[in-house]
Amino acid sequence: MGSLLGLGDPLYAHGVHWVELLIVVIKVLVAFGALLVSVMLMIWFERKVISDMQARVGPNRAGPWGLLQTLADGIKLFFKEDLLPERADRTVFKLAPYLSILPAFLSFAIVPVGGLVTVFGHRFELQVADPPVGILFLLAMSSISVYGVMLAGWSSGSKYPLLGSVRASAQMISYEAALGLTVTMVVLLAGSLSTRAIVEHQSHTFFGSWYLIHTGILPFFLFMIAITAELTRPPFDLVEAEQELVGGFNTEYSSIRFALFFMAEFMNTITMSAIVVTLFLGGPDGPTPHVFILSWVVPVLWFLGKTLVFLFIYVWLRAALPRLRYDQLMDLGWKVLIPLSLGWVLVLAAFLVGRWWGVGVMLALFAAAGLLFRSVMVGSERDEAIEAPGAPEPGATPELGAPGMVR
Amino acid sequence: MSDYLPIVVLFVLGVLFAGLSFLASGLLAPRKRPTAAKLAPYECGIVPDREPPQRFPVRFYLVAMIFIIFDIEIVFLYPWAVVFRSDLHTFGLIEVLVFAAAVFFSFLYLVSNGALNWGPAKHLRPAMPERTTESTIARVGPGQGPGAGQAA
Repeated sequence: MGSLLGLGDPLYAHGVHWVELLIVVIKVLVAFGALLVSVMLMIWFERKVISDMQARVGPNRAGPWGLLQTLADGIKLFFKEDLLPERADRTVFKLAPYLSILPAFLSFAIVPVGGLVTVFGHRFELQVADPPVGILFLLAMSSISVYGVMLAGWSSGSKYPLLGSVRASAQMISYEAALGLTVTMVVLLAGSLSTRAIVEHQSHTFFGSWYLIHTGILPFFLFMIAITAELTRPPFDLVEAEQELVGGFNTEYSSIRFALFFMAEFMNTITMSAIVVTLFLGGPDGPTPHVFILSWVVPVLWFLGKTLVFLFIYVWLRAALPRLRYDQLMDLGWKVLIPLSLGWVLVLAAFLVGRWWGVGVMLALFAAAGLLFRSVMVGSERDEAIEAPGAPEPGATPELGAPGMVR
Repeated sequence: MSDYLPIVVLFVLGVLFAGLSFLASGLLAPRKRPTAAKLAPYECGIVPDREPPQRFPVRFYLVAMIFIIFDIEIVFLYPWAVVFRSDLHTFGLIEVLVFAAAVFFSFLYLVSNGALNWGPAKHLRPAMPERTTESTIARVGPGQGPGAGQAA
């Protein structure tokens, strides 16, 4: 069973004694610290890159190149008055930041950061945890974080947060379906849910064995779009569309509660970039010299480098793309991403069975696309037909399509 | 189960971090001086006149219900995907094609019913039945517009 679902961390091969427990605690502390520092740097990085792209200076006062700006902002938030809005549901209002930050912390646990390391005879993986359910754990955590957003908006007892949070939950669950389907393709190829196993399967040759190529490139883009929407980052940031919703679900939050939401958002961005690298770009895979310490430091550097590319892409998307309209967002999610990813799963599975199966399923897919297109047309016509008698003018009995009709 | 040990430790650490942040904020933040304006829901300075449970479009519920179909589909796909390459082969492919077809046709039904339409509401109704394009153009034509009397 262990060999089928995942390799498992060799650390626990001989049971868990105090030494193993100590290693676990150290691993967790290092990951925790690294995550917090990287969130701090990510916020600075985003502000600095955006300001460079907009020909501004950006943060440059606190620390060298403004590096400590985030820290200064964080400290400032500690010193702010912590308000509970009068109409808020007090318990849920206080609970929501926890529901947002804890999944953000936990989902990083399954990311393989490097290879295997031996310290004082104890061999372990450079990864906080390697549970057999692996990638399902990530999906579970991203589902739970919807609750954080939803409850935050609902419990605020205010208009903008509520609208922001219902938008957010509808958006996140819509794209979660596409996200889940694209991850299925990787699982299909790897035959395992464990992130470690997924990375190991991609580590034969540099680039050539990555799932980016093996799944046919398209799933990678589907996944990128799905997680950008899942993170509610631009151009899918309708959740906190400042021009319409003030601040979205966290409008009523102040002080440290706001800081936790903000941190959760950036932590999720970092984790999801790492997940893209894990699923499609081979994680820590790359040319590695087998010289004592370099053999485990270099994979970590590969991992960091690849993750940084995606972090930059997120910032770039924010600077370059305008926000989508809500109906465009939902149409993209439901009528394009979900059918396309479902179809690609089937094509991939068919090609794994045999070439002719693959071609056959692909042809069936074109027929299905035609059907879907026709359904969308029928759906939009039907929508108009239902709306038409909705608001009849008093004393007027208009016929459809008569001159003077406006849409 | 020892694979989950680090996750438990991380969970405890996360709770501690958030809890200590609240504690520190409680110690460092100024004493609470609530005023009516501060505690009121944010409304761009207008005094809110609606009750807190606001109304929102029913389509959001609809999306949540439709999502369940796909979520359950994905739940079935994961175990299939794990064992597909090693055990199932052609049999598994035919099974999943039948299953996906069932889901896809119900999806087509939803789409063709307009269940997933979010577009701005298209009201196909006459704005002013007595006014047509011809009458509007005629009214602002030379000699008939609002400024026609002054010019003469």
